[in-house]
Amino acid sequence: MEEKEIFEKVKEAIVDALGVDEEEVTADSALFDDLGAESLDLLDIVFRLEKTFGIKIPRGAVQLGILAAEGVKEEDVLVDGAVTELGAKLLREYMSEVKPEKIKAGFRLDDIPLLFTVQTFVKMVKVQLAAK
Amino acid sequence: MRVGTDITEVGRIRELMARHPEFRSAVFTPQEIGYCESKRRTFEHYAARFAAKESVMKAIGKGWLQGIQWTDIEVKTLSSGEPAIAAHGTLIQAMDEKKITSFSVSLSHCKAYALATVVAI
Repeated sequence: MEEKEIFEKVKEAIVDALGVDEEEVTADSALFDDLGAESLDLLDIVFRLEKTFGIKIPRGAVQLGILAAEGVKEEDVLVDGAVTELGAKLLREYMSEVKPEKIKAGFRLDDIPLLFTVQTFVKMVKVQLAAK
Repeated sequence: MRVGTDITEVGRIRELMARHPEFRSAVFTPQEIGYCESKRRTFEHYAARFAAKESVMKAIGKGWLQGIQWTDIEVKTLSSGEPAIAAHGTLIQAMDEKKITSFSVSLSHCKAYALATVVAI
């Protein structure tokens, strides 16, 4: 499936889940800050995407993503729930759709959902479709 | 000691369960489902339990997107009527990492909203 088609379906899921206008939803719209999502909305969006694309989005997707680099151990990238310099670098690479200045050493892992943009979901869907 | 708190709209829980039938078993354990379904204000009880799970995640600083399974956080009702948190799998792992030994939880709900506060000890 082409990225454009994935984006359109992700956009539709987000518009329906959040009740926002279509034109508000762009690839770099941040779910919480720009579109006003709450945590229950994220769950709603994930369920919608799993149904639409026939995939399962792993719940530790982002953490697994930054740990996926060869030879990287959890203690190299995370200390007390916050990313190290290396963790921040890997997270910036993994979430390249997010403005890099938003991810610095000390950024807390539990704040990752606050970084989510529409493109983050497009990427998650792409990865899971490729793994099917 | 860390605190987590959450407020959940009862209507949103009802709506999500109607839209995604898998929501119930993805988020709640069979015991929680049995408890909520036995109550007259079913969705208030579900919402209170959802708020408790969110509060636990806030208190430990790790959420479902970081791999904590919703069903690994179980809200039990003690014989005294008091709620308590039972930890399973991914939550036990996170508690070990954060050196947390137990939780204390308080729930409250009305027709529209459910509230939970959790203290991680």
